[in-house]
Amino acid sequence: MPDLNDAAPVALVTGAASGIGAACAALFRERGWRTAGLDLRTSDTDVPVQADVSDAAAVAAAIAQVQEQLGRIDFVVTAAGYYEEGIDVVDITRHQWDRMLAVIVGGTVNVARAVLPGMLERQSGGIVAISSELALGGSATDLHYVAAKGAVLGFIKSLALEVARSGVRVNAVAPGPTDTPLLLADSIWREPEYLATLPLGRLVTPQEIAGAVFYLASEGSQYCGEVISPNAGAVI
Amino acid sequence: MAERKIALVTGAAQGLGLATARRLGRDGFKVAVNDLVDDGRLSELATELDGLAVPGDISDPDATSAIVSRIASEWGRVDVLVANAAYMTMSPFLEADPVEWWRHLDVNLSGHFRLIQAVVPGMREIGHGRIVIIASGWGVIGQANATAYAASKAGLVALTKGLGRELGPQGILTNGIAPGFIDTEQLQVDADDAGITLDEMRRVYAESVPIGQIASTEDIAGAVSFLAGPLSSGMVGQIIQPTGGITRTRA
Repeated sequence: MPDLNDAAPVALVTGAASGIGAACAALFRERGWRTAGLDLRTSDTDVPVQADVSDAAAVAAAIAQVQEQLGRIDFVVTAAGYYEEGIDVVDITRHQWDRMLAVIVGGTVNVARAVLPGMLERQSGGIVAISSELALGGSATDLHYVAAKGAVLGFIKSLALEVARSGVRVNAVAPGPTDTPLLLADSIWREPEYLATLPLGRLVTPQEIAGAVFYLASEGSQYCGEVISPNAGAVI
Repeated sequence: MAERKIALVTGAAQGLGLATARRLGRDGFKVAVNDLVDDGRLSELATELDGLAVPGDISDPDATSAIVSRIASEWGRVDVLVANAAYMTMSPFLEADPVEWWRHLDVNLSGHFRLIQAVVPGMREIGHGRIVIIASGWGVIGQANATAYAASKAGLVALTKGLGRELGPQGILTNGIAPGFIDTEQLQVDADDAGITLDEMRRVYAESVPIGQIASTEDIAGAVSFLAGPLSSGMVGQIIQPTGGITRTRA
């Protein structure tokens, strides 16, 4: 008798241990998907694997393990990342710059390269990268983060075109300021004066970002290099 | 069980509007369906969905308020408005008849302006609402020989953004969809104009799209379902573009 569970599609989420990644994994599971989480820490997923997304070899090994345990990967969400704010451009150190690009850009590229061969072989699948509304509108004193998130958009749009005829869909979700542990208690994005400028007057929730991601995963066949931005109206 | 939400879909007799009404019905909405006149299709659809047929020309100000009053008297309110009805003809710009220019603006833009004016007071009263505006990829990137249509749809893009900003603080979320080619009755018109078969027309359009296929009405109805439903509650003033990669810019 076939295992019915094997018919359920598989979502791999990076950064699945907390914040947006954890909310994505939870929503996919709630909707009947099997889930794998790739994070530095363990995650509440069917197959948690621990790896640093900026380490290409570690990512390849982790994804091979997921494919072996779950049979395939249908959809990938690259949510792994971190945030630093309040740093003037001249004060961003070489190390801060390099690490941000290695994690945000490198992490997205490493994961995409590892999952694409399987998707291209099956002529189906999808990738959604988590970018940021700041990459659309610009920001001050977090320039290395914004530059990295902007690079993710360029990568995603180009990759989307490169694989457009293969049936694999590549898109991005650009969240507005989201209520996750990455926004520290004293973040400027939590200040009432800032929130009052937003049409929704509040931070978006990790679940609301997951909602946009899940829509692209479940009904996103007509999107190619699109950027969907649940941002509370921060960038319209 | 939660009370069923109420949606109004304009241009629901055929094509995208029809698919949208059926999708929202499956999603659990009570659906009021509008089109210019009820030639039987509208009341048939209303029966199928256990909904309400509210025919009327949305470019006629009296008709728009009558449509909304009718729904209010039957069901009490409108939770979701899908602004879908549209008019389109094509011609080279210099040959465009000014009457055609105004017809595009009257139906596509002014019609929905008035309809939104008619539904918003009720949404304010209940403290929530969703307005889903069907714009067009051509309203984002422009289109030769369809300047009036594209301009009217670009107007809807700006209307979406303005309403997003203005009504968002009141709990009324306005977002829009800019579709590319959709497999609707319009394709037969285009095929006849081009002197080719319907299948040839589908192939021509599909080849021009990066993903190599055109959207079904159900695909775009799925986008409406997203913007009308709980998964999009963080979005306001946004235009999503299920165009298969035709529009590679942010709207």
